[in-house]
Amino acid sequence: MGNKQTVFTHEQLEAYQDCTFFTRKEIMRLFYRYQDLAPQLVPLDYTNCPDVKVPYELIGSMPELKDNPFRQRIAQVFSDDGDGHMTLDNFLDMFSVMSEMAPRDLKAYYAFKIYDFNNDDYICMWDLEQTVTKLTRGELSAEEVTLVCEKVLDEADGDHDGRLSLEDFQNMILRAPDFLSTFHIRI
Amino acid sequence: MSAYYRNNKYEEYPDDPGYSGPRNHVQGYLKTQGHPESPGPLHNSDYSQTRSNPYSADSGSADYPGSVARPGYPGSWSDPDYPGTRSNPYSADSRSADYPGSPAEPDYPGSRSNPDYRGTRSSLYSAGSRRRADHPGSPAEPDYPRPWSNPYHPGSSREPDDSEPRRNPDFAGSRSSGHYGGARAHPDYLGSLEEPDYPGAQGSSNHPSPRHTSNRPGSKRNPEYAASRINPHTDFLSEPDYPGAENQPNSSNFLGEPDYPSAEVYQHSPNFWGEPDYPNAEDGRDYGSSKTPKMTREVLSRTSSIQPSFHHGRDGPLGILVRENEDDSESIEMKSMEMENPYGYSVPGAPATGYVNPAYVGEGSSGPAYGNPPFGSDWHKSPQGQKLITSLISMTSRDRIKAIRSQPRAMEEKRNLRKIVDKEKSKQSRHILEFNCCSQCLNSISLAHRRSKNSLSELLNSISLWQKTLKVIGGKFGTSVLSYFNFLMWLLKFNIFSFIVTFGFIIIPQLTVATRNTLQFTGLEFLTGAGYFSDTVMYYGFYTNSTIQHGEGAASYNMPLAYLFTIGGCLVVCFFSLLFSMARYFRNNFINPQVYTRGIAKLIFCWDFTVTHEKAVKLKQKNLSTEIRENLSEICQEKVKLTLNQHLTRFAVHLAAWVVSTGVAVACCVAVYYLAGNNIEFLASHRDPGAVLLLPFVVSCINLAVPRFYSAFRLVERYEMPRHEVAVLLVRNIFLKISIIGILCYYWLNIVALAGEKCWETLIGQEIHRLLLMDFVFSLADSFLGEFLRRIIGTKFITSLGLPEFDIARNVLELIYAQTLVWIGTFFCPLLPFIQMITLFIMFYVKNISLRMNFQPPSKVWRASQMMTCFIFLLFFPSFTGVLCTLAITIWRLKPSADCGPFRGLPVFIESIYSWIDTLSHSTSYLWVVWIYRNLIGSVHFFFILTLIVLIITYLYWQITEGRKVMIRLLHEQIINEGKDKMFLIEKLTKLQDAEKRANASSLTLERDAEETGPLHTRGHDTAHTPDLRFRRSVQEENPKA
Repeated sequence: MGNKQTVFTHEQLEAYQDCTFFTRKEIMRLFYRYQDLAPQLVPLDYTNCPDVKVPYELIGSMPELKDNPFRQRIAQVFSDDGDGHMTLDNFLDMFSVMSEMAPRDLKAYYAFKIYDFNNDDYICMWDLEQTVTKLTRGELSAEEVTLVCEKVLDEADGDHDGRLSLEDFQNMILRAPDFLSTFHIRI
Repeated sequence: MSAYYRNNKYEEYPDDPGYSGPRNHVQGYLKTQGHPESPGPLHNSDYSQTRSNPYSADSGSADYPGSVARPGYPGSWSDPDYPGTRSNPYSADSRSADYPGSPAEPDYPGSRSNPDYRGTRSSLYSAGSRRRADHPGSPAEPDYPRPWSNPYHPGSSREPDDSEPRRNPDFAGSRSSGHYGGARAHPDYLGSLEEPDYPGAQGSSNHPSPRHTSNRPGSKRNPEYAASRINPHTDFLSEPDYPGAENQPNSSNFLGEPDYPSAEVYQHSPNFWGEPDYPNAEDGRDYGSSKTPKMTREVLSRTSSIQPSFHHGRDGPLGILVRENEDDSESIEMKSMEMENPYGYSVPGAPATGYVNPAYVGEGSSGPAYGNPPFGSDWHKSPQGQKLITSLISMTSRDRIKAIRSQPRAMEEKRNLRKIVDKEKSKQSRHILEFNCCSQCLNSISLAHRRSKNSLSELLNSISLWQKTLKVIGGKFGTSVLSYFNFLMWLLKFNIFSFIVTFGFIIIPQLTVATRNTLQFTGLEFLTGAGYFSDTVMYYGFYTNSTIQHGEGAASYNMPLAYLFTIGGCLVVCFFSLLFSMARYFRNNFINPQVYTRGIAKLIFCWDFTVTHEKAVKLKQKNLSTEIRENLSEICQEKVKLTLNQHLTRFAVHLAAWVVSTGVAVACCVAVYYLAGNNIEFLASHRDPGAVLLLPFVVSCINLAVPRFYSAFRLVERYEMPRHEVAVLLVRNIFLKISIIGILCYYWLNIVALAGEKCWETLIGQEIHRLLLMDFVFSLADSFLGEFLRRIIGTKFITSLGLPEFDIARNVLELIYAQTLVWIGTFFCPLLPFIQMITLFIMFYVKNISLRMNFQPPSKVWRASQMMTCFIFLLFFPSFTGVLCTLAITIWRLKPSADCGPFRGLPVFIESIYSWIDTLSHSTSYLWVVWIYRNLIGSVHFFFILTLIVLIITYLYWQITEGRKVMIRLLHEQIINEGKDKMFLIEKLTKLQDAEKRANASSLTLERDAEETGPLHTRGHDTAHTPDLRFRRSVQEENPKA
C-alpha cells in the first residue's frame, strides 16, 4: 500500500470514498483487483484519470462473477455504454452497490436493472422468462417457466398491468428481507 | 409507500426555491381549470414558459397538473360508459398536457444510451421539421389558427381544411399534421374531423399522395426546426372549445356504441396517422413507426396523468393523504411534484435527503423510457440537478455524503455532484462568515474529524476476523449457512467485550493482591473446573472483600462495588446492544405487515449473489428448480380440500406430537432435577474428582439426543410448509433447553445456595463451567464423529441418503444455550466469557472444517434474515431476560456465603451498594450521587411515573402504527385501482389498434386506387409493426405518471 499516493491523488481518493461505500483501503484493494484483471491495460497511475476500459471478458472472469448467472447483466448495467466494458469508476460503482453497506433502495434499483433484460424499464414476461431460465439452467420445461412467470407477476404486480415496474419490484423486495444479504458480493 | 414518503419530503421543503416553477404551473392550471372554456392565451403563456427550457418543459409540463386541474373529471372517468362528454370541457387540458411532450423531444438526441430511441428521436425531428416545412410553405398558415380558435363554426373550420388542401398539397400536409395534434389531444376532436361526415374530409384521405411527393424533400433535411413546432401548438391551444361545439352534433353517431366512443373515433384516425408515415417509410426510414407510438403514448400518458386527480376527487385513498397533509393546495402541489418525478428524475432526489430515495423511482421509471437520463455531464445544470444540489447543500456533511453515495448514478456524476456541492457550500459559508476567521478553523476541524473517522473505520475493518473464510463459506453454501457463522461471530464479539471489561475492572485489580495458590494442578481441572482453579481469579470465591489500596495516599479500589458494577455494566451493555440489533432486524425484516405469500417471486429475485463457487452455483440452480417445481405443485394442489377425517387425523397427530415432545421435555427436566438433588450425596460417596462430571454429562446427552428425536417427528407430522416445520422444531427445542437451564437455576438458587455450603457461589460457578465445557466437548465430538459418520454412511453405505444438510436451527440453538450459561455464570465465574471466547473461536474452525467436509448446501431457500431476527429475539427473550431474572434474585434475595468472595459477611449482595450510598452521604462532594440514587434509582415514584410515561408513549405509537396500517391498506387499494384504470386504457388502446388496422386496410385499398405501385409494400410493412411498437411504448409511458 506504500504506493497509494502515486496511484491516486489525495482528492481522488477522498472523492471515491465519498461516492462509494468503501474505505480507502478497500478502494485500493479494489483498484489492485481491477489492475490485476488487465495488467498491461491498466496503468498504475491514475492521477491524470486515464480513459481505460477493461473488456467484459476479463471482468466476467473474476472469481466473484465467473459463475454468477447474471454476470453479463451486471457488467452491462454498470458499464457506461451497456456493453459490459468497465472503467475503474464503473468497477467501483458495481462493488459499491453490491457491498454490505449499500441501502436497500439503491440495491433494489440496480437489481431491477439487472433483471430488466431488455432495458425497457419494466420487468415483463420476457425478462422473467430470461431470469428463470438463467436461474434454473434450463431445467424447467417451457410450461413450467411460463407458469412460474405468471405466478411471479400475479404476486408482485401491484397495479396489474402485466409487468413489474420499479415500484412493484421495490415493494416486493420489501417483503423479501433476505434480499439485502443476498444481493451482495464480497470482495 | 414511497409515494407517501415523497410527499412527506416535499412537505419538509416547502420553500425550496426550485419549487416555485411547478407551483406556478399548478396555479396557472388551476385558473384554467376554473374556466374550462377559456380560450388559449392562458395556455399559451404557460407554454412559452415551458418551452423556454427543455428540461423544465419535461418536468413542469409533463406532470402537467392537468390531472390536478380536473376535479370534475373523476366521476366521469371512473365510468367507462360515458361518451363524448369527457373530452369536451377538458380538452384543453388534455391537449396541453400533450405539448410539453413535444418541446421535450429535442432532448432525445441526448439519449445515447438507449438504442431504441434512435429511431424515435430522428423521427421526432423529422416530424417537427415536417410540420414546420409545411406551415411556412402554406400561405394559408395565418388563417389556420383562427378557424381553430373560433369555437362555434364547424362549417367554417371545415371549409379551409378541405378547400385548401386541394389547392395546395403542401398545406394538406400541414393540415394533416394538425390532425395529429388533435388526435393526440383527444379523440372526440378527431371525431369532429371524421371524414364520412364531411364531404371535404374525404379529400383528406386522398391527399397523402400529393403530400408525400411534394413534402418529402424539405422535411428531412431540416434538422433545426424543432422549435418551429410551436406554431401548430398554438393553433391547437387556441381552440379548446372547438371540439365541444363541433362534436355535439356528431356524437350521436358514437352514442350508438357507448362503451368506447373514442375508440370509435379513432377508427378514423388511423388515416391521419398513417399518412405521414407513409412518405417516410418510403424513404427507407422507419420514422413513421416510431412517430405513431409517440402519439399514442402521449394520448395514454396524458390520460394516465389524469388518474391521480381522479383519486383526489373520489376521496379515495388519496383523499386521506390530503387530509393528512391538512392542506389541500399543498397536497395538490405535492401531487404535481410527484408526477413530475418521472420526468425530472433528480427532483425527488433533492428532497429525498436520506433514507427513501425516490430518485430511483424517478429515474427508473422515466429516464430511460424518455431517453432523458443521460443528462450526461451537465445534468446538474438542469433545474432538477439544481434542486438536488440545493438540498444537498443544506444537509450536514454526513448526510450529504450518505445522499451522494445513495444516488443511483455513475461515479462520474456523483463526483461532479460532490464537487459542485462542495464548491457551493464553501462559497456559501464564505459568504456568511466572510469576516469570521473561525469558519476556516471550523472547516479544517470538520475535515480532520472526517479523516480521523475514516481511518478509524479502516482500522476497525482491518481487524475484522475471518473475512476470507466467510467469503469462502458464502461462496460455497450461500447466505443461509453464512448467517450461522455471522451469529457465532456476533456472540464472539459479545464475549470479547465482556471479557475485556471483566478483565480490566475485576481481574487485574484482584491479581495485584492475589495470594499464593497452594492447590495441586492435575489437568482434569480443565474439565471439572474444580481443584486448583477454585482458588484462582476464575471464581467468585477468590475475590477479596476489601478495598484495594497500594501505598499510602494512592487511589483506593472497592472490590465488592467494582464486582457488582462491572457485571452490571456488562449486562446493561449486552441488553442494549441486543435490543438495538433486535430492533434493527425487526425493522429491516418485518417492515411489511402484509401476510407473507408463497413467495415464488422471492425465489426468483433473491438469487444469492454471494455464491461464487462453481459447483455450489450449479447445485443451487438445481435446488432452486426443484423448489420452484414443488412450489408450483403446491399451488396446483392448493385447491384440494382435505376431508374432515383427514383434518381430524392431522390434528390428532399434531396434538400427539406436542404432547410427546412436551412430555419428553418435562421428563428431562424432572430427571435433571432429581439427578442434581441427589448429586450431593453421590459426590459424598464418590471421592473421585471426575464424579462431578455426571450431571453435565447427562445434561449434554439430553441436549444432544432429544433435539434429534424432535426432528424425527417430521416423519409423522408432515407439515405442508417447511417454514412451519422449522418454527415448530425451534419452539420445542428452545422450550427444552430453557426449561433445563431453568430447572438448574432453581436447583442452584434454592438448594445449593441455601444448603449452607462453604462457598456456594464458587460451586455454582464450577457447575456452569462444567456444563459449558461438556457442551463444547459434545459439539466437538458431534462435529468430528457424528457428522463425519453421517457423511460416511451417506456416501458409502446408504447412498440414497446423500450428504446431509447443515442444520442451522439446531446449531444456532446450541450457541444460544451456551451463551445463556455464560451470562448466568459471569457473576459466579468472571472468567467465563474468556472460556466461551476460546470455545467459540475453536468452534468456528471446527464447524468450518466440518461444513466443508461433511455437508452440502441447503436445498431449501432458507429465510436467513428472518430466522436471524428470530434467533436474536430468542437470545433476548427467554435467554437474556431469564438471566436477568436469575441474577436479580441472586443479588437482591440471596445471602452471600460467609467467608469467601467480595460480599462475605453481608446479608444480601445489594447491601454493599446500600452501605456505599450511606458512606457517600456523609461526604459533601458526592451528594449528587446520593441524590440521584435516592430520587431516581431507589425511588418508587420515579419508576411509577417513568412507567406511566413509557406506557403512554407506547400506546401512542401503537395507535400511529394502526393508522399507518390503514394507510398502507388504502394505498395498496389505490395501486390496484390505478392498475384497473390502466388496464381499462390498455384495453381501449388495443381496440383502437384493431380499428386502426381496419382503417388502414381500407385506406390501403383507397390508395391502391390512387397509385398502383411502390409504396404499397412499405406501407404494409409499416402497419404491420406499428401497432405493437406503439403499444409497448405507450404502455411504458403511462406508468411514470400513475
